[in-house]
Amino acid sequence: MWTQKKSKRSATRKLVGRTKPQSLVTEQYRTIRTNINFSLPSDDTQTILFTSASKEEGKSTTSCNMAIVYAESGKRVLLVDADMRRPTLHHSFQLSNKIGLSNLLLKKGRLQDTVKRSGVVGLDLLLCGQIPSNPAELLSSPALDTLLEEMKARYDLIIIDSPPLLAVTDSKILANKCDGTVLVVNTGKTEKDSVKKARDALVTSKAFILGVVMNNYQLTKDNYYYHNYSN
Amino acid sequence: MESTFNIKEFLQALRKRLPLIIIVTLLFVALSGIVSYTMMKPIYEASTQILVNQRVTNPLQASEQLNIDANLQLVETYNIIIKSPAILTEVIEELELKESVSDLNENISVSSAENSQILTVEVEDVSMERAVLIANTTASVFQAKIKSLMNVDNVNILAPAIVPVDPDPVKPDPMFNMAIGAIIGFMLGTGLAILLDQMNTTIRKEEDIEEIVGLQVLGIVSTVPEVKEFKRSANINDKKELIADVDTEKIKAVSNPKIGGSY
Repeated sequence: MWTQKKSKRSATRKLVGRTKPQSLVTEQYRTIRTNINFSLPSDDTQTILFTSASKEEGKSTTSCNMAIVYAESGKRVLLVDADMRRPTLHHSFQLSNKIGLSNLLLKKGRLQDTVKRSGVVGLDLLLCGQIPSNPAELLSSPALDTLLEEMKARYDLIIIDSPPLLAVTDSKILANKCDGTVLVVNTGKTEKDSVKKARDALVTSKAFILGVVMNNYQLTKDNYYYHNYSN
Repeated sequence: MESTFNIKEFLQALRKRLPLIIIVTLLFVALSGIVSYTMMKPIYEASTQILVNQRVTNPLQASEQLNIDANLQLVETYNIIIKSPAILTEVIEELELKESVSDLNENISVSSAENSQILTVEVEDVSMERAVLIANTTASVFQAKIKSLMNVDNVNILAPAIVPVDPDPVKPDPMFNMAIGAIIGFMLGTGLAILLDQMNTTIRKEEDIEEIVGLQVLGIVSTVPEVKEFKRSANINDKKELIADVDTEKIKAVSNPKIGGSY
C-alpha cells in the first residue's frame, strides 16, 4: 500500500521548470544553474551528476528541473536516468521505459534511436530502460565510457540522475566519471552525519563536488532576499 | 557540538514549536481543571473567634502595656493548647468523630491577629456542617478546659461559627490549580521544544552545510506546493511515446524491479 502511494506521487512529479516557468521555485533552479556555471572549471561539454546521501531527497526532481532550466538557457541537454534500481524519469515525463541506458550499456541499439524527446526544446531524455540485475557492473564497464564520449559529442550538457550514495555503489562509480557532482539534501530530513558520509564517499571516489542543493527549504520571513523579486 | 548559545535561534526554535507549547499548556490547564472539578473533594472551612483575657493576678504587676505583652505571649501558648491532645480528644469524644487526634490537628489551624488577644480557630472539613460543629466544639472545650489548665476564666467566644446559606468550598480552588497547571504546562512544553530542537540532528540551515560538511551551497529550492493536475505543455513533439491511455499499473509493472532492484 505504501509503495503504491509512493509510485503515484512520483508519477505526478513536479516539473515546475516546465509547468511554471515564472515561479519562485523555477527562479531558484536558475540561481543554482548560474552557481554551477561559475563552479565548473571550463566551458567544454560537461557531465553533471545529481546524487544524495539517502533515498527520497529530491535527486530526480532536482535533476529534471535543472535539465529544463539548462535547456531554457539554449544548451542542448541530455538528461540520463542512471538510477537503474528505482528509475523515475519515465514517470516524470510520462513515457514508457522499454528502452534506455541499460540497453545501450549492453550494446543493444544506438544512442540516437534510444533518446526520447522531452517536450522541452533542447532537452532529450535517456531513460533507464529494462532494469538490469547488475547495475553496478554495467556502470563500471568500459561501455559507459564510450557511451559518455558519444553523449558529449552530441550534447552540450549531460545531466545524470543517480541512486543514493550511501545505499549502493553506483553513484560513486558515476561520480568518478562525471565532471561535477551535486549533492542534494532534503532540508530538515537529511541527517548531518549522512551528509558527511556522502561527502566522504564522493571524496574517496575522486569526484569533483560542485556543492549542495538544499531541497524542501522552508522559507521564512528572514529569507526575504530569496522571495520573488518581480512581485 | 554547538559551543555558542544563540538567543535568536533559541527563540526561533521556540516559535517553530509554538503549537506544541500551546497544546501542552492547554492540556495541563484542562487536566488540572478536570481534577479539581471532579476528582478532588470540596473542602469547607468554618472559623470561630475567641477572645482571651488574662485576669490580672498580681496587682503589683507593672504597667498596662507590659500586661498586654504578657497576654500576647500567652496567646502563643493558647495556640498550642488548642491543638493539643488534651483539647482535641475531648472534641473527638464529644462529637464522636472517627478521626484521630493527629488527623484533626491537621485540619485545625489557630491564628491570632497581630497585636491582639483574639484567636481565630479555622477548621477544614469535607462537610460544612461538620466544620462548624468542630470549630464551635473546639472553642467551647477550650473555654471549659483552660480554667483548669491555666487558671484563666476570661475566655469569651466572640463569633461562633455558623453554617452559611450557600457554603463555598475553600479547597480546591480550580482557578488557582489551573493557573499552576498553565505554568507547569508552559514550562514542560518549552522544555520539550528545546529537547526536540537539540535532538534534531538534521540539516536545517545553509550554515549547517558550510560549517559541518564544508561544502558550498549552490542554492536552495523551497517546498513546491502540491500540483493537483499535471498539465501537459502544448509543444510535446514525441506524441508517440505518450502513454496517456496506459494505466499506472502497467507503468509500475514495467518499472518494478525484478532482480536486485531495491535499495
